[in-house]
This record gives sequence, structure tokens and C-alpha cells, in this order.
Amino acid sequence: MDLLKDIKHKRAKQRQKKPIKRDAFNQISGLVRQCGLEKSFLDALDKVGDYLATKNLKFARIRLKVPVESPLFSLVTKEEYFLTMSIIKKVDCPYLRFAHSPEEVLLCKPLYRLNPSLAPERLMRYHFETLLLHERTKIKNNE
Amino acid sequence: MKQLLDSDLELVVESDFIYMPLLFDPEIERETQRLEPGKPFKNPVKYKQKSVIKLEDKHFVKALNIHSFIDNYEAIDAYSYQRMRNECLRRYQLVRGIDEQFLDETLRTILFRIMPYFIRKNKEFSRKKVSDAEILDLVGEKINIPAKYYEEAKTFQDLEPLKEILKDLEHQNSIFKLPENGLYSARKLRNWFHKAINAKVLASEHHRIARSLQIREQFRQAKPAHIAVLLYIADRGAMEIDGFGFTMNNAYKGDYIVYKRTGDYVLKDYYARSYLFPDCRVAISTYSPYRPFVIEKYKHPFLMGHKTGQEICMKDFVPPNELTAESVIRTLEEGLTAMRYGYNGRKRNGYHSLDKTWVHIPTIDFEDYRI
Repeated sequence: MDLLKDIKHKRAKQRQKKPIKRDAFNQISGLVRQCGLEKSFLDALDKVGDYLATKNLKFARIRLKVPVESPLFSLVTKEEYFLTMSIIKKVDCPYLRFAHSPEEVLLCKPLYRLNPSLAPERLMRYHFETLLLHERTKIKNNE
Repeated sequence: MKQLLDSDLELVVESDFIYMPLLFDPEIERETQRLEPGKPFKNPVKYKQKSVIKLEDKHFVKALNIHSFIDNYEAIDAYSYQRMRNECLRRYQLVRGIDEQFLDETLRTILFRIMPYFIRKNKEFSRKKVSDAEILDLVGEKINIPAKYYEEAKTFQDLEPLKEILKDLEHQNSIFKLPENGLYSARKLRNWFHKAINAKVLASEHHRIARSLQIREQFRQAKPAHIAVLLYIADRGAMEIDGFGFTMNNAYKGDYIVYKRTGDYVLKDYYARSYLFPDCRVAISTYSPYRPFVIEKYKHPFLMGHKTGQEICMKDFVPPNELTAESVIRTLEEGLTAMRYGYNGRKRNGYHSLDKTWVHIPTIDFEDYRI
């Protein structure tokens, strides 16, 4: 490929429309605003293990995600910004941008620990609780 | 903007600009970290061109020029501006064109020249010609004037605020003072903003204020009770005493419908049978043609149909060419006389006959009035 073709190819590639990917900040800041999350939520993140122990998880039915409209470009107040960044830092998990509720934010890390390679389509469709139970059942069956 | 001013946010005023609290995302946060840290805020020269400033550990972004906002508020939020304008004008009694109505010749003619004729048969008006003040006293006695008009009368007669405003406007003083640089609660800024809009409204009403002041000087010596009566009449545009009344003509601004009630009356038909007619208002409009008509839905041998606003059929009546107190009185009297005494049962004059005949087409029936 000569230089001219190479430049044209690169420019054509640059001009291509790229779909906007929701990032963790927009998703979590949307949740912080909509659900009115406060600093106490960070404590809850520290105690995810306790949360899972107290919660009676039963594979009774498949839970679908609650639809959430989060902004494409989120702008938040200073307090909300620092809370959002703290949550992102604390969870530090690629599944976070698929969380649709505070409950899913809590389940993010345990789910990632069980299976770090879940497909985005599944993460977008099913509630993390369902996915977590599914992964647990899979592990039990293998044992 | 209105939502911002109604919120509980903290806003900053700096060099004629309003600064809003800065909203964050990761990129904005990176940019704010690049801002000069640790500089004192009270250094307007240094920070004049800055779009983001930091005060009390909070970031604010440059948003609105105060002058531009005040100047263009009418276009930004027309509804809110009108509401504030009306409120401001009401405070100084500059709304509703009250001052003009005080000098309205038609209203003065009705009130001071026509009305005494129709209510003079009362005891207190039997001997002498009544003055304008006596008429206003009588109106005050006969009509229950709400207390708010007495309050408004005090404001109306207090010329000092208007004089001060006019003096400021004539000396071309600044119409509002800008708030000093610093941090303000949205509520505080909103109060300042309302004052600025009021000042702007008053500046735009310069001529009206001058005219109002001129008129109010004339009424300065009048009794507050009389001013209250005039304010009540100007506001309501209608009044009725002892069956005589007037109401503002909705179709033509500045014109009135003057009326007198007939009271119940009896007419006799060809066979001397009596028919009791209910009360109605015989009226004349101050907007030509000056012919008497009945305001209500009514039926009568001298009215064509059974509907509202019908002219009374009067054979030899020539309507006046111009509106004077005498012509209005004469026209009303003729209308009333025609309605009460004009019908002749033997001649069966008018559009309809009270008794049923083969001659008249029986469109209107008076059997229900027979006694």
C-alpha cells in the first residue's frame, strides 16, 4: 500500500462514526443523582460480604434489569462527583458501567470475581443477582 | 434562570457577571486542577477574564452578564416580566389607567350630572342642587366599598414616592445599583433582581409617572373616602344606586352603558285585563346611536322579539346628535315612559298586541304575565 492510499485509509477510518460507549462515570453519577446516594453507601460497599450473607438469594426466577436512563454526558455537583469517583475507585471493576441500581453496584465485585469474562449483552440484559446465582450454580455443578 | 434564582444554591457576583456553581466530570476536574491555586479572590483585576473562579473551596463558572440579563429579561421570560411589571405598577397605583379615568369626562358626566337627576327624589337631595362631594358621600354610604380601596386611596394621595422616582429619572441617576462582588444566596440575589426589574419598569414608565403626578396633584385636597369611591368605580367600571346604574361597555373602550330600572309595572289590554311586567333595565350607550334599549332578555309590545339588547320602538322619537347629560336623561325618560305607559290597549300599538287577535301574527305571547 502506497503512502497516499495509507493516508486516505486512515482518514476514512477517522471519519467513521463511533458509537458512544457509556462509561462508568456517567452510569454511576446518574445512579448517585437518581437514587440520592450518600457517603454511607461507601460503607455498604465495604460490607458486601455481609450483605450477601444476610440477603436470602434464591434462584426462584430470572430477574431482568430495571431500565435506567442515564445521561450520555453527566455533570454533577462537587459532592456528587467525589462520591461517584469514590464508588468507582472502590469497586474498580469493568462490570460497573452495566450496573442499573445501587444493588447491582454492590454485586459487581462478587460477580466479577466469579466470572470476569461475562459478555456485555448478558450484563446489559440480566440483573447481577441472577448472573451471580447462575455463576454460583455453575461452580457447584462442576464440583 | 428563574429556577436558579428560586433554588437554594450559592451564586457569586464578580465584575458584573453572575457565576454559577461549577458542575463536574473527570475532564472538568482535571481542568480545575490546572487553575492557579491559592490566589485570593478579592482581586478583580487578576480574575476579571477568568471563566472559572474559586471561592471558599468551591468552583464557580462565569454564566451571565447582569446588565444583559436585566435589559433582555422581557424577551427571556415575557410572562414573568409582565407579572413583575404589573405588580410594580400596582404598588404605585399606575396600573389600569386609573389616573385617566379620574379625568374621564364621560364618567364625570354620568356620575355628577346624570345620576343626581335619577336619585334626587331621595330625602337628602330634595331641596338643593347637590355638589360633587355630596354625591361621592352618598355613593360611599349606599355602596359597601371594600377596605382595600381606602388603603389604595392613601397610596394614591401620597405623592412623595412618585416625586422621588421622577426626580431620579430626570437627573438620570443609575436606575439600580449593582450588587457588590462576593458570594450570595440565590434568594438574596433574587430580591436584588426584583428591585432592579422594578427600577427598569419605572424608568420605562417615565411619561406615565409624570402625567399621574400631575393628575394626583389635582386630587391632593380631596377626602380619602372620595378617592376610595373613585378608585372603586374606576376599578369595577360599574355601579348601581336606587335603580340607576352604569356599566363599562365591553365592546367599546372608554364608553359606558347608562341604565335605569323600570320596576314592576302593569299594562292593560283591549279588554282591560291586567298584565304584570317584570323589572327591566332601560339603557342608553354613550357610544352612538343614542337610542334606548332593554339590556335583559325581555318581551314587550314595543320590542320586536324576546331577546337581549332590543331597541325600544318609539314612533316620534328623534335620537340626540351628541351626548350630553340632558340628552341622556331625556332619552332614558322617554324609554322608561314608553315601556311603562306607551302601550294603548284600545289602539294595540307596537309590534305585538297583549291580547290575541287575528290581525297580529302571534309570535310573542303575554298570557304568562296576565294577572
